[in-house]
Amino acid sequence: MKDLIARFFGGRGHSKDDAKQRLKFLLIHDQVDMTPAQLEAMKAEIMEVICRYMDVDKQDTVFRLERLQDKVALVSSVPVRRVTSRAPAHGAA
Amino acid sequence: MSECIVITSGKGGVGKTTTTANLGVALALMGNRVAVVDADIGLRNLDVVLGLENRIVYDLVHVIEGECRLKQALIKDKRVEGLDLLPAAQTRDKTAVSPDSMRRLIAQLKETHDYVLVDCPAGIEQGFRNSIAGADRALIVTTPEVSAIRDADRIIGLVEAAEMPEPELIINRYRRNMVRAGDMMDKDDILEILAIPLIGLIPESEEVIISTNRGQPAVMEPDSRVGEALRRIARRVHGEKGVPYAALEQDEGFWLSFRRWMGLAPAREVAG
Repeated sequence: MKDLIARFFGGRGHSKDDAKQRLKFLLIHDQVDMTPAQLEAMKAEIMEVICRYMDVDKQDTVFRLERLQDKVALVSSVPVRRVTSRAPAHGAA
Repeated sequence: MSECIVITSGKGGVGKTTTTANLGVALALMGNRVAVVDADIGLRNLDVVLGLENRIVYDLVHVIEGECRLKQALIKDKRVEGLDLLPAAQTRDKTAVSPDSMRRLIAQLKETHDYVLVDCPAGIEQGFRNSIAGADRALIVTTPEVSAIRDADRIIGLVEAAEMPEPELIINRYRRNMVRAGDMMDKDDILEILAIPLIGLIPESEEVIISTNRGQPAVMEPDSRVGEALRRIARRVHGEKGVPYAALEQDEGFWLSFRRWMGLAPAREVAG
């Protein structure tokens, strides 16, 4: 309700949510010492491998780093449409 | 048993010195013997916040270099029984002090005081390492801003790496009105991110500027909201459990006050 009123009056949502989001992102990158560009590059490489075996929905794929107490976890969700017939046989290069 | 507590933050300007001065006074008013130590060598300020700047003869570096005895350098606050200040040197730099010399100094102060509070300089360099060297416990001061919380997170990591017990958090300059409007992270947002226990919540207030102008810490004013918040932190530091948070009870806004006045909302709890 408050959100609706805020939007009605031309607000862009709560600025504290922006602060929290930015902060979470910052802290993770401070901790793993990985730039967003490096994360993107890694994501692209991982996706390349996955796509060799599966037909996936790239639009809805999520890759993100999350803090779990004192550790950082790479959390990803890759919706699979189907396993492709192009999958290389086991042991093949 | 005596305890040395370092007050630190990483970022400058979040209120470390004001917090140290007020906690020192509050703990002394509770009957403890307290030494407050300014570890910001080259940029001393704790003396000014306490209003003791005119009484400095010797400083921390004089003591460490053996140019005077510790007792000669300690300034007794005449307004508050049991409070001593050890000022920082103003004309030297931080390389004049080492973690080892600081450890020895703190050990000596603990012999004669119940609490030794160290006001840590901003940053994570030598001044920080010197400040945490003799400390048994750390209080981290932050404000509800992205940059201050980011630095606090870094400092928490460094305190834990130094094998000190889990630090506790003081959130300073808390504005309930902005929190209510969704324009300031609330205490739970900050605690979720930093994941350490809260020990204090200090409201933003112009009173601090006035008390700093006068060199009279807010805890000396019985009616000050900031003073009340800091007195409660001192009680928690001293081990009292279940002390409620003053900053959450205050500045409730016009409509709630109006509804209370009309008898439509329950009467406000007396701060206690």
